[in-house]
Amino acid sequence: MKKIDSIYIVDDDPITVFGVSKMLGMVVECDDITTFNNGREALDDFIRRLDSNKKLPDVIFLDINMPIMDGWGFLEEFLKLDVSKKIRINIITSSIDPADYEKWLRYKQTTHHFIDYKNKPVFKIEEQDIDHIDMAS
Amino acid sequence: MKNTKSFTRSYLIKQLPSATAYLNTDLELVHASDNWIEALDLTKKNVFGKNIYELLEHADEDWLDSLNDSLLGYHRKGLTSFVNNDGFEKWFEWMHLPWYDEHENIIGTIMQVNDISESYGDQLEIERLQSLLQSQSEIAKVGVWEFNLITKKLRWCQMTKKIHEVSEDFEPSIETGIDFYKQGHSRNTISMLVHKAIADGTPFSEKLQIVTAKNNEKWILSAGKAISKEGKLIRLIGTFQDIDEQVKSEIKTQENQKLLNTLLDSLPMNVYVKDKESRKILVNQSECEYLGVRDKKELLGKNDFELYDKSIARISRDEDVEVMKTLTPIIGKETISVKKDGTSTTFLTSKIPLLDMDGNANGVIGLSMDITQLKEKENELRNLINVTAIQNKKLISFAHIVSHNLRSHTANFSMLLNFLVKEKDETEKKRIINMLTYASDNLMRTLEDLNEVVSINTNVNVERKSLNMNKKLRKIQQNLSALLDEHRVTIVNEIADTFSVWSVPAYLESILLNLITNAVKYRHPERELVIRFKAFNKGGFTIFSIEDNGMGIDMAKNGEKLFGMYKTFHNNEDSRGIGLYITKNQVEAMGGSIKASSELNKGTTFNVYFKNEENR
Repeated sequence: MKKIDSIYIVDDDPITVFGVSKMLGMVVECDDITTFNNGREALDDFIRRLDSNKKLPDVIFLDINMPIMDGWGFLEEFLKLDVSKKIRINIITSSIDPADYEKWLRYKQTTHHFIDYKNKPVFKIEEQDIDHIDMAS
Repeated sequence: MKNTKSFTRSYLIKQLPSATAYLNTDLELVHASDNWIEALDLTKKNVFGKNIYELLEHADEDWLDSLNDSLLGYHRKGLTSFVNNDGFEKWFEWMHLPWYDEHENIIGTIMQVNDISESYGDQLEIERLQSLLQSQSEIAKVGVWEFNLITKKLRWCQMTKKIHEVSEDFEPSIETGIDFYKQGHSRNTISMLVHKAIADGTPFSEKLQIVTAKNNEKWILSAGKAISKEGKLIRLIGTFQDIDEQVKSEIKTQENQKLLNTLLDSLPMNVYVKDKESRKILVNQSECEYLGVRDKKELLGKNDFELYDKSIARISRDEDVEVMKTLTPIIGKETISVKKDGTSTTFLTSKIPLLDMDGNANGVIGLSMDITQLKEKENELRNLINVTAIQNKKLISFAHIVSHNLRSHTANFSMLLNFLVKEKDETEKKRIINMLTYASDNLMRTLEDLNEVVSINTNVNVERKSLNMNKKLRKIQQNLSALLDEHRVTIVNEIADTFSVWSVPAYLESILLNLITNAVKYRHPERELVIRFKAFNKGGFTIFSIEDNGMGIDMAKNGEKLFGMYKTFHNNEDSRGIGLYITKNQVEAMGGSIKASSELNKGTTFNVYFKNEENR
């Protein structure tokens, strides 16, 4: 079983949060899985960790449609932060709007972080889905 | 008598009434009548004893030479011209006779002159006029004719015969003459005119047609006049002019003119020609109809300032000047014309410089096509396209909302079912089933929401009524009284009791309910909520304004998404992100709109625009 220090799940849908947590439990050993209802909460927590030099998440599961701050709003702010660690972001969405897919392509190219895009439903999280972890951290 | 020979003047000869002179064999003047001296302009000289050549230096020598003939016994006579000292030409008929003595010896010559200048001049003038007339007649193709009423003989000149294309020896009669006229109008007319001229001397001049001997039709001008002597008509004289070419070209010109006028008048566009001062010098029927006049004359000479609105006339005049100055036409320009009475018409206008022979602009030719209806159609179409585009956008956005929401639920179903199939643990199985129930409830709720949105957008023609605003507000406040009391909400209503709004009753209630509950939901945690209602009319709309002192929204970040479906901006448990979306749909279904202004931590104002009844 792979071991990962910290994971974020950002989704307002409790079922998705339940599902992702459950699937993660099958492939990964992680003591620090934090869930957030929207982008704002996740961003605030991330900044807190960054400011206090706490452990940053290795993987972020990110929904797009959320209240207050949606997935794109989160990415926009997140990518502005000065984070040397390479973080993997898995976008999981039920959106089939091509505009969302194009946004992903755009963001993907402008950052050193690794951003993946998956349409719901997701049945299984593979080891490679949480790979790409910056070993330097 | 020797005396006769010596130059004694004979008083008898001096007084002779005819201009007579006696010359000796040396042609020296012996006797002369005073008339002779005067006729030859010699009054100021001493003439007697002088040689005739000496006396009349400038006279025709042939004339004087013939004096010698008479010395030999011949009689000579002739005609000569003589220029006197004043430069006047005189004509003399002259006669030279031998002068005999009583023994029949020739002792000299008798010279007689007769000043015929006056009558001879007349004769010459007549000849000159005649030849002039002839050449004129040939150039102008004018012939003459003469009908003797006593002998009933008709005489034609050569030109008249030529026009009739008959031979030079043709002998016309009044009957054959009339028969040359074309049957019908021409022949009837000439018969009548000739008859009248004979009967009472009425002169005539008429354009008629003849058919010549060679069977050619020709236009002629026939004129006639009666001549009477001692109160009795004796003959008709007249002219006969070939005016075929003129008439034909005249007819051609008239035809062209008529064609042009017909063309201009039946053109479905306004045509006009203006002079340098932009005064109309030609207008067609359409232009008259447009400007509401019957007679073209009412427009001719008028400028645009007399016909159109002042500012429009100014623009038009500036265009005219520009076209004339630059000689560059304006082609197919969209212009708006406003008449004095204020009616506005959209034209597609072309203005072309009117050039004179030297290529200078003399005015402007204008062509204007009324495209008002086309323009209106175009606007209607554009509006329709806009509406369609907006509807299409809304549809696509709605389709995405539907697919996203349904997909998220179905994705959850399939994920949970996938877990359930593999799960062995009973407690975990129960947990998964609970999740499935939750997902199913969510799906039901989503479907209800979507259904409501669809029904709003499909029942566009739900009947609207004039509704009293405050009556509706009181009803909603009553329904929400528990909620409002719980949060100690203060409501300030600034709307007059008589104020009404035109709306679908159910929509108005739903809109008010949503906006008020929205204000309560997003109240500021640190102060008591105050909601303020206002309403006013503006530009065909009734505007309802609801203002709160709540949390406010960051408009820069979220303004766009404010009315989106399932967009919420506060972490509120009962915010589902459907209320404002439905409100917006209801307002728009009634042709109105909704706008929000907000400041974070200060409050939010929503302005709802209801279309007025007269603006439907």
